[in-house]
Amino acid sequence: MEFRENEILGIIGPNGAGKTTFINVIGGIYLPTHGKIFFNGQEISELPAHRRCKLGIGRTFQLVRPLQGLSLIENVMVGGLFGKGLRQREARKKAEELCEFLDLTDITREITRMTALEVKKMEIAHALAAQPKLLFLDEVMAGLNSDETMQMIALVRKIHSRGIVIGIVEHVMRVIRELTDRVIVLDWGEVIAEGPYEKVSNDPKVITAYLGEEA
Amino acid sequence: MEGCLQRIHKVMALLSKLKQKSYQIAITSVIAAIVLGFWKPHVLVEGIQRACLYAVIALPMALILGIVGIINLAHGEYMMLGAYFAYFLNVYTGMDPLLAIFPAFLAFFLIGIVSYKAIIKYVLGAPELNQLLLTFGLAMVIEQLANLFWTSRPIKLPLKYVSASATIGSFTFGTYEFVYIAAAIIVLAGLLLFLKRTSTGQAALAVGQNPRGAKLVGIHVDRTYLLVFSLSIALVGAIGAIFMTRHSIFPLMGAPFTMKSFCLIAMAGIGNLTGILWCSLILGLAENFVLSFRGYAGWADILFFALIVLVIMARSRQRQVK
Amino acid sequence: MRISRYLSYFVILIFLLTLPLYTGVYLLNVMDIILLYIALALSWDMLLRSGQISFGVAGLFGVGGYAAVLLNLSTGMNPLISIVVGGLAAGILAWLVGIAVLQLRGMYFAIVTLALAEIFRVIIRNLPDLTGGPEGTILPSAIFAGNSAKTYWLAIAVAVVSVIASEIFRRTRIHFALTSIRNDEIVARSSGINVFKYLVFIFVITSAIQGVTGGAYAHIYGFVSPEGSFSVDFTLLPIAMALLGGMHSTWGPVVGAVLLGAVSELLKLHIPYGHLLVYGLIIVITILFFPQGILGTLGQRRKKSR
Repeated sequence: MEFRENEILGIIGPNGAGKTTFINVIGGIYLPTHGKIFFNGQEISELPAHRRCKLGIGRTFQLVRPLQGLSLIENVMVGGLFGKGLRQREARKKAEELCEFLDLTDITREITRMTALEVKKMEIAHALAAQPKLLFLDEVMAGLNSDETMQMIALVRKIHSRGIVIGIVEHVMRVIRELTDRVIVLDWGEVIAEGPYEKVSNDPKVITAYLGEEA
Repeated sequence: MEGCLQRIHKVMALLSKLKQKSYQIAITSVIAAIVLGFWKPHVLVEGIQRACLYAVIALPMALILGIVGIINLAHGEYMMLGAYFAYFLNVYTGMDPLLAIFPAFLAFFLIGIVSYKAIIKYVLGAPELNQLLLTFGLAMVIEQLANLFWTSRPIKLPLKYVSASATIGSFTFGTYEFVYIAAAIIVLAGLLLFLKRTSTGQAALAVGQNPRGAKLVGIHVDRTYLLVFSLSIALVGAIGAIFMTRHSIFPLMGAPFTMKSFCLIAMAGIGNLTGILWCSLILGLAENFVLSFRGYAGWADILFFALIVLVIMARSRQRQVK
Repeated sequence: MRISRYLSYFVILIFLLTLPLYTGVYLLNVMDIILLYIALALSWDMLLRSGQISFGVAGLFGVGGYAAVLLNLSTGMNPLISIVVGGLAAGILAWLVGIAVLQLRGMYFAIVTLALAEIFRVIIRNLPDLTGGPEGTILPSAIFAGNSAKTYWLAIAVAVVSVIASEIFRRTRIHFALTSIRNDEIVARSSGINVFKYLVFIFVITSAIQGVTGGAYAHIYGFVSPEGSFSVDFTLLPIAMALLGGMHSTWGPVVGAVLLGAVSELLKLHIPYGHLLVYGLIIVITILFFPQGILGTLGQRRKKSR
């Protein structure tokens, strides 16, 4: 499968289908046992994760683990410092810009007092700080209420408008429907369907994967 | 004709199994053992005996580290306490240390419970670092208290039966040490049965894999940790009693055993109890082999550690998770 | 604000540097020990910030001591230079061990380091022609001919170097790398941090500091021996000091070192044995009740009262 320029690709599938594993393989946390991965024409199948980050692959994490011992802004700076190799002052400036872009305020505070939405935004800012060309959002909508989901959808559109290709793993279908150009469906580690959301959501294979066989 | 073909097939199948690493290792080991048996029979017999000693000491640590994920750097110190317990039991009641295994087991089960409730329990939730530091400190405390109370002078009980020996041809070897082999097999079998057949054992496996999940299905996680930890201490205390019969004991004797136990666990793989027996055989024989060359005795100690470093290097190459 | 803080540091430094002018040999010797332990405690803490524990401080310390003494004896190398080379030797050893073992970290690394002191001790004991064997080697004269002011300044230099290193680790991007790695390696890797490289780097630097400290100690006291130079004191005390004072900081280990250093001197005067017991107890009690150490707990109280 492939990611196309400028698209927002949805990645859906039942639990255990391998969506996060997929991100881990592309991100370089796991190495593929078969097959190859190419990024912008370059083969990256054997590259370690930190190199892939520098090449422009970014991601958020399903179970958010903000870095204890660093403040909010410092958490964001990490991506800029290492993903992009910026000096501290530049990284800080970029991080401040990102926080503004994502509507995060009071950025010098400790991370212990943040709302769920803020933590997610910080995660995304952290990933954006490394200036990725391809960004995976792993279930960013989880645990958000209706309002917050709307905010997040607008945010993702904003990020996309910067020219970043986005791969979005979600369970909330409304989000997939609104945001994505194309969707792939994973089940047991295989792509079982691919195409625009309308087509895929009516595909009997997909329905079976989610709901099981008709009795 | 048919029978001939079938036999050829069977041989081919056997030979193709040779490609499997485990078979290769097994066959080379058997050959090496036979060679050793003729060249240096002392090394073979004493090596196996010593190996089983290491194995039986390592198994309780493997139980808590491998199955429920608790690291206890004071492991060797508890064994030392068990040895002294057997000694004083003998001095004050005349009880034979081998018999003392049973009261030692009970006593140390209690000691395990106390240790867990007073100390260990508090660092289970915390990062692994805290367990390492805490049990390191605990090991120091136990060791130094022992040193204060009992001085560093080594103690030994003069028991007659430990010098039993047998002779095959011109080769004499100690027969008492076969106790270690028996102990190793009994403890290993006992633990495997415990894990497979008892509800606590099954609970332990569950908790080790996923403590939160285990709690959700109703397993009493804290009690499982408590029981398994206390079992480990009870075993290692009893083993201390056995050790006492044959070796002199002193307060600082525990630390090398903690290290070697950990080496064995790392070699065998976390969670692999049977593997501990095989790995200890390799290590025990290797150690005795080196010891048999005069002048190299001092280097035997490092053998374990050199091997553990090699194993870690090999493992990390295998991992492939960059 | 900043100026007044630097001014006070400056004043304290001047005070410390001129100490030999108004105190006697005994106090200077006690300060020597405290200063060297500051270096050990700080270097241990620096590695801890990455999430790794080393139980092998005594090993690197002893290697540095032996390297410094043997080089000085066999090649007539200037003692000060030999101390630096001792640090280099420890660093190189750490590099070898690190690249071998830091792929698997946490508990594996910690326990391998536990073996380090023992391994080096065995090696040194078994090469008597090179190292003087179990009895050790004595220098014909201690460094600076035993002038206690100069040895004191040497100790200050070592402590200052470690404080500077610790601050560098706290103010540059290294701080971000260490904290990320400590928290979650996978997140760190996905953020572009080469975890393995950083860990080896930190291990090498901290081990080099420990080696330099060992070299300084060996020259100040004028001898090395397998038992003395690799004594478990040099692992146990720094850990207790860093934990007591407050880990993951520069001043925590310093405070811990000063406190425990003073305590250990007092203990030596009144109780001939049992020191290790006290240090072990301190570790146990600190982990159980004040994992943040003195400075950490004070810092938290201050935050709460705001």
